[in-house]
Amino acid sequence: MNRNASRILAALFGVLAVTLPFFAGDYPLQVARNIMMYMALAITWDMLLRSGQISFGIAGLFGIGAYSAILSVIRAGMPAWFSILFAAIFSGVVAFVIGFLILRLRAMYFSIVTLALGEIFRIIIHNLHDFTGGPEGVVIQKGVIFGGNANSLYWLVLAGLAVALAASFWFEKSKIHFALTAIRNNEISAQSSGIDIFRWLLLAFVVTSAIQGLLGGIFVQSYGFATPDAVFSADFTLLPLAMALLGGVYSTTGPIFGAILLGLASEWLKLKIPYGHLVVYGIIIVIVILFMPQGLRQLVRRTSHSADGRSA
Amino acid sequence: MIKLKTENLTKSFLGLVAVNKISFSMEEGEILGIIGPNGAGKTTFINLISGIIMPTEGLIEYKGMDITYIPAHERARRGIARTYQLIHPLENLTLIENVMVGSIFAKGHSLKEARNKAEALCHELGLTGLDRDTSRLTILEVKKMEIARALANEPEVLFLDEVMAGLNADEMKDLIAIVQRVALERHLAVGVIEHVMGVIRELTHRVIVLEAGELIAEGKYEEVSNNPRVIEAYLGRGGV
Ligand SMILES: Nc1ncnc2c1ncn2[C@@H]1O[C@H](COP(=O)(O)OP(=O)(O)OP(=O)(O)O)[C@@H](O)[C@H]1O
Ligand SMILES: [Mg+2]
Repeated sequence: MNRNASRILAALFGVLAVTLPFFAGDYPLQVARNIMMYMALAITWDMLLRSGQISFGIAGLFGIGAYSAILSVIRAGMPAWFSILFAAIFSGVVAFVIGFLILRLRAMYFSIVTLALGEIFRIIIHNLHDFTGGPEGVVIQKGVIFGGNANSLYWLVLAGLAVALAASFWFEKSKIHFALTAIRNNEISAQSSGIDIFRWLLLAFVVTSAIQGLLGGIFVQSYGFATPDAVFSADFTLLPLAMALLGGVYSTTGPIFGAILLGLASEWLKLKIPYGHLVVYGIIIVIVILFMPQGLRQLVRRTSHSADGRSA
Repeated sequence: MIKLKTENLTKSFLGLVAVNKISFSMEEGEILGIIGPNGAGKTTFINLISGIIMPTEGLIEYKGMDITYIPAHERARRGIARTYQLIHPLENLTLIENVMVGSIFAKGHSLKEARNKAEALCHELGLTGLDRDTSRLTILEVKKMEIARALANEPEVLFLDEVMAGLNADEMKDLIAIVQRVALERHLAVGVIEHVMGVIRELTHRVIVLEAGELIAEGKYEEVSNNPRVIEAYLGRGGV
């Protein structure tokens, strides 16, 4: 695939994504919405991974965003669209504060702590019964965004994906790319090149967390309710991670392909083997990671290497 | 003019004194050899100066300012650059992108500016094929790239930790000439850690000798290499 061909392909995908509600039925639209949501999360997970930090905290920040959006509507009467922005800001601020505590940690320690934080958030929401509705959650009674129109909700999720894509391209094309790649390779030599490691990690963590919060906000607004188990579900951590690994990490295209393939595969499997689909799903991931540690992107790159001149 | 000096600089690792009360200074334009047997504390000494590790005791002064406890990235920005004994090319970045990093972060240049500067720098060091993956470089090219990465900081003081290791005689000659040229043109103070004595003789104006963390001799290469204490330090550990 040379550069022009991939541009055309990207443009086609874009047009297809935007116009899908005009010709697709309810079920495909629902599937596409799910895939786009996970795709956006996969992209944000990969963005932080580019610095070498493996986060297991996606669900945590997604859930924070979800609850801050829905509670700001229910408890403070915030307009629905504004609550989604608020979710992004709130998750970003939370990430900023906890970033100071946890971005000194590395490798396994960072990962475990992000996982634990997500769990802590969930438990807090669980127990602040009067404010959050506890385990039963909360429902938006009136003022559901777009009056619950399925097409508009689809475009809302698409907009969330567009934000993740734009941020990812910004990371790829700016100084941030150099900072994160240098940090991932070797933190000591990165410092010797004048890189203030903590500052760049904090930036990456806050930006990706804010987008995860935004997506959480979009998620609750499009379903109109939140329960701790639904919005802090481990799926929001594990599926994006699997998608990025499957498609190939350290890029925007990897998580995109991974999300499409895994998203479609899991839908298909759900229909074919309703009770065993998660097992097959797991097996696919294990096989791909064993035999293609750099993901499917590696395969595409290998076959296109001669045409493209240089791997992107 | 004195660029850099240390006073009683000391680092101990859980009781092991790797650098023991070293006081020294480096002048602008000077190429200083730093020699000593394996484990003498040479790399640790450079780590202290570049801020990779913090000293247990002592003082580091750069251009008259106390920099003893400022972070490494800040020292890089102020003009202290170095290469590493164990080299770490940035995978996933091309040759030129590797060289751009210091320009971007130590000097704050834009990506475009950094690319132009990195191109000029690579050209100066005789590096070509700038869009290659670093995995495709020869050893000599990797060494040059490491030097270019350090020079991208536009430093005033540069430390080279065993850059000649793994090169053959011709390649060493090439690199010696390059180091001499860039040092002269930029009025750099250069500290060269090296085990190959021929390189030290050719390249340096002055030498300091470390043994077991202590500075045991200082002077021109000829003086130092005839110093009985230095000979013993090397022979005592099985020579070089
Ligand atoms: N991070 C560390 N923790 C514990 N001990 C260390 C550490 N770094 C260095 N040392 C010890 O300090 C001493 C000096 O090591 P250093 O690497 O500075 O020597 P060197 O002179 O550079 O040797 P070489 O010529 O082999 O590179 C050694 O005994 C080494 O084991
Ligand atoms: Mg050493």
